[in-house]
Parts: sequence; structure tokens; C-alpha cells
Amino acid sequence: MYNWLARSLVLLGAMLSNVSLAADLTDVDEIVRRANLAAYYQGADGRAEARMIIRDGQGREQMRQFTILRRDRSDGGDQDFLVVFSRPADVRNTVFMVAKHTEGEDDRWLYLPSLDLVKRISAGDKRTSFVGSHYFYEDVSGRNIRDDQHRLLGSDERFYLIGSTPKDPASVEFARYQVWIDKQTFLPMTIEYYDSGDRSYRKVEVIETETVQGHPTVTRSQVSDLRSGGSTRMEFRFIRYDLGMEPGLFSERSLRNPPREWLQRPH
Amino acid sequence: MRLGVAGLLVLLLSTPLARAVGQPADTTDDWGDDSWAEESWDTTAESGPRWHGFYEVGLGGRLADDAVLDERLTLAETRLRLEREQYLGDYRYSLKADLWADGVEHGLHGRLREALLSFSPSDRLDLRIGQQVLTWGTGDLLFLNDLFAKDWVSFFSGREDGYLKAPAATVKASYYSGAGANLDLVWTPRFRSDNFIDGERFSYFSPLTGSNVAAPDGHLQPQRPEHDLDNGEFAARLFGRRDGTEWALYAYRGFWKQPNAVDPAGQFYFSRLTALGASLRGNLAGGIGYTELAWYEGEDGSGGDPLLPNDQLRLLAGYERELRPKLTLGVQYYLEWLQDHAALAANDGDSPYRPDEYRQLWTLRLTYRAMQDNLTLSWFSFWSPSDQDYYLRPSLSYRFDDQLSLTVGGNLFGGDQSHTFFGQFEDASNLYARLRYSF
Repeated sequence: MYNWLARSLVLLGAMLSNVSLAADLTDVDEIVRRANLAAYYQGADGRAEARMIIRDGQGREQMRQFTILRRDRSDGGDQDFLVVFSRPADVRNTVFMVAKHTEGEDDRWLYLPSLDLVKRISAGDKRTSFVGSHYFYEDVSGRNIRDDQHRLLGSDERFYLIGSTPKDPASVEFARYQVWIDKQTFLPMTIEYYDSGDRSYRKVEVIETETVQGHPTVTRSQVSDLRSGGSTRMEFRFIRYDLGMEPGLFSERSLRNPPREWLQRPH
Repeated sequence: MRLGVAGLLVLLLSTPLARAVGQPADTTDDWGDDSWAEESWDTTAESGPRWHGFYEVGLGGRLADDAVLDERLTLAETRLRLEREQYLGDYRYSLKADLWADGVEHGLHGRLREALLSFSPSDRLDLRIGQQVLTWGTGDLLFLNDLFAKDWVSFFSGREDGYLKAPAATVKASYYSGAGANLDLVWTPRFRSDNFIDGERFSYFSPLTGSNVAAPDGHLQPQRPEHDLDNGEFAARLFGRRDGTEWALYAYRGFWKQPNAVDPAGQFYFSRLTALGASLRGNLAGGIGYTELAWYEGEDGSGGDPLLPNDQLRLLAGYERELRPKLTLGVQYYLEWLQDHAALAANDGDSPYRPDEYRQLWTLRLTYRAMQDNLTLSWFSFWSPSDQDYYLRPSLSYRFDDQLSLTVGGNLFGGDQSHTFFGQFEDASNLYARLRYSF
């Protein structure tokens, strides 16, 4: 009887924590794991239209507009991405495809319509600019949570504050970073990166979120380069999850012939 | 030429470009804090087709005089590109047209770069019918199993890289099995040769005179295969991907894309070519590794006829990786193994211009991006240790904003001998600049 009661309480606790009503989590790895799922693995698949406005230190602006399709091979694991650009004119109809692997190197392809060329590109440094913006590839597709040591620095009513240091400092440009994770949604709301002199030089902030099909989703965010004064703002719209994408969607066929069925705006 | 520019201007005024130019460049108010206007998200699919394209001015000139060509310019053009695409039901059409006034090959020229209808008759089948540019294979500016037409004149004169591929009227059917192997079949009913160096813009080496020749006397005008269904080109590719590794098998039946056969009357023509090949590409040691093989089977199976190209085995191995952030290195080794070399040597009358049995080529690509990717510095070089010649392609491009970009670069040829592949183009060495407004 006592055992049964204890098990029921544990079960109840687990259920409650799933809807984020439970007491604070103290296991930092669990917090980071949930944040990773909340930020990058909503639903089994998803589509969104994105726009970025890139502003350099002198205030000059450029923009990028693209549609992004994502499918998870497993929650928290490998994922496929297809990014189809519509603006500006010189990158229109360019397609970028990534098979993201949590073990081993990613596979990346680029389709250049002027040459009808499917180019394989090396996995390379994931902490370099994504299409000329202040976002890094890793900001868009997610950084492997096992690449850093995480520590719970504290928490208040709204946020967990996590401090992270890279396991391989030579592979990244930061010495450490801090993340404020929303206790309700587990979305990382602010990330601040520090250099070896412990100066904050880069900041990623969520400006607006929205709940889409039950998933709290970032709809507006901004990256600021605190050294140059440049920044990029990104906005997502027309977001849909669980559309039932097939694994075969992420193939050379979609590079050469972007899949209209998934690219057109849902009604 | 003057008429050409006037024509272009008239056309310009009637296009969206004129309207685009008329707007201030920084109409980005819809990107402000709270005014992400709904309409500004519109894409072609939502608001109907729009005209896109670019307007470009290009100028390039020789570094030294060419003794047989009195034209100092290698590129002098003002070009308008118009593009439009739209779905009509399940059918998608795409049009890309170029109109340019050319100061080297004087006059106003127009060309359809794409006039394409694509649709999927079934879940697994894609069809693309019409004028189009096609590319496959793994090489970087080296083509083994890609026997689709190239435009070497554009490439040598500093037009954008995309112009290296010449369009052809083609039917392409792609069957995707969903697992394992996929199949591309390409039929080009009318043989489409390369746009080869024919002596008009650049001179070429003639073994008959032992020197470079050019138009008008040396204008290379080969006999083309008759327009006959039997003279069409067929190309096929069976391909797939396993884990991260891509494999492909290729076949081609058609003609050599350059006129490298001579009939008894001394007339150049395109002889028959059948090619078979294979390629592999995948992640390798933090970069991309690839290899490709092709067997070229010509008409001269025994190799004894010096007026016909011999069979060849072509081999490529390449590797590309990021050396450090923003700096990418690519290296390729390429081998052309001329078959029956002894038979050729025994029958060509001791020609001093006889090609080597093994033509080897190394290429090096370095790309560096800076200033938030707005500046791209690029180096590409071909160097042949067997021919002792080279072709260097340095370039710099800068994106001022989303519309305006500038590219400056060079095409520099040289070699120990005047008859080798790149050596013959020494006097074609040029520098160029292109300013482009995209819309």
C-alpha cells in the first residue's frame, strides 16, 4: 500500500513536471535537455517562413527571406533541414540542406540555380555567419548540448540561469556563455557570450514568443554583436508543426526541385 | 552598338527595374520595429509572378596584344536579365532571358537561358522540359561525366561563373525510388556543342599553321551533326546516397563537345562519343572528399588515326575543407590518360604537337569571406605539370547591399609551349570588372 502510494506520487510528480507546474528542477542536465527540445525539436517536424534584417555597425541594412523545413529523426537527436531562399534577388531559389548529426559531422549541401549545381559543402565551423547575418549556423540548428559543461548558477521566479563552458575551448570563439531559460516554457530567452577576457561580446535575445499547436515558439529574436555594434533581427511566421513530412523529403530531389507541397503557406 | 544601347534603355524603362531604381534604396521601413507589414512577406506564390533579374555592365581587356586579333577588349557589354516563374496548377514555368549590347562581338544579342516547364506526372517522377542548364558530377570546374554544354568564351572573358554552363533544349526525367537508387534520363534532341574558343573573341592554336589563328580567316566553323533524331544526345545518371556518402553511375551517348576531329578535306567536325563513368562523394577528415572516373570511347578504337580523337580514361580526386573560419581550401588532381598513344605516335607523322599520353592537372581553390560575407576573395588555379601550363582565376567581389555588387578579376593564361591546352591562350589573358544591380 505504501509502495503503491509512493509510486503514484512519483508518477503524479512526473506528470506535473511535464506541464511545468512542478517545483524547480535542480538537475542542470535535465534543464538543458528540456531547453534543447523546447527550442529545436517542437513537434516531429515543422515549417516556418523567416526573415532577417541584418544591420551592420554603420547602420546599413540587408535582408534575407527564406522558408525552412525541419524533420526530427529522433527527439534530441539527428535532424534534417531544408532552407529555400526567396530574397534578396541574388540568392533567390538557392537551397541549403543539412543533415544534422549529434554524433559525427553534419552533411551540408547547397543548390545554386544559375548553374543547376548541387554542391556539397564541408561541415566546417558552425560558429560562422549564417548567410551573412549575425546568427551562426549553430544558432539556427542548435548547438550540441554535450559540447559544453553546464552549471546551474541560480534561478528566480521566471528563469533558470545556466553557465556553460566549452569542453574543447579551441573549437569555439567564446570562453563561456550564460543562458536564461524560461521556467514555464523552457525556451532559452537570453544568451550572453563572454570572451577570454571575460567581456560580454555577443548577445542572443528572444523578443517575442507565441504558442503554436501547443508548442511555445520563438517568433522574434535578435543577435547583437557588441563589438561592432551590428545586429540581426529574425522573425518567423506561418509556423506549422507535425505536417507529416517523409524522410525522403530531405534529398537531392528537393534541392533541385523545391517541394511546393511543403513550401507553400498553410491555409 | 549605339542602337543596341538605345534598345536596352527603352526596354529598361518598361521593366520593373526602372521602378525599382526609382525607389530610394533604403525602403526598409517595413522592417522597422512594429511594422512588419503583411504584404512584404509576399512571395511569388502568394502575389502572382514578378519580374526578377539584373542589369549589369562589364568591361575587360587584354593584358597584352594578340598578334592575330586587333581587339583589345575581351568584355564590353551592358546586359539585362529578366526572370519570371509561376505555378499554373501543378505545372511550373520558368523563363530567364538575356538581352545584351556587346562591344566585342558587336551588336545587340538576345538569348533564352531558360524556358522551362516542370511538373510531376506521378509521385516519383519529375519532368523538366525545355531550354535549360544542367549540371551533375563532382568536379569543381572540371567535368568528366557532365557532358552538358559549356560556354568557354563566357568563362574566359570574365562573365559570372553561371555562364560557364550553356543552355540547351532538353527533356529531363528524374525518377526517385524513395530508397536506394534514383535515375535521371536526359534527352537533347539536337546536339548542343560547347561554345568553344573559335577565334572570334580569343584566338586559338592551329596545328595546321603551327601558330595561333583568329577570325576572319581562322574562324573555326566546324561541320555540325545533321539535325536528325539519331544525332541527339542521351545522358543518364543512376544515383543515390547511403548515410552521408553519395554515389553515381553515368552514361552518355552523343558527340565530343568540341570539334576535335578533322575530315580528309581538312574540315573540323564533332565525332561520336560514348562515355561511361562513376563517382563517389562524402565527408572525409573534416572536409569533403570526392572521386570520379570516366571512360571516353570515341570512333578511333585502335588510336591509329591522328585525325580522330583517341579513347581516354579520365580520373579525378578532390578534397575541400575549411582551413579556418571563412577560409576554404579545395585541391583537385585530374588525369587524362590517352589510350593507344603508341599507335597515335606511329601515325601522326611525328607531330610536334602530339598530346602526352598522360595529361595531369592540379587545381587549387582558396575562398575567403570577410566583412559579414559582403567581401569574397577567391583564387582558382589550374596547373598542368605535364603540359607545363597554367590558368589562374583570381577575383574579388563586394556586395554593397542587397542590390548592388561589384566583381573584379582576371583570367591569366601561360605556358612553356604555345600549343598546349592553356598555353595557347596566353594572349587571351585579361582583367575585367562587372557592376551588377539585382532586382
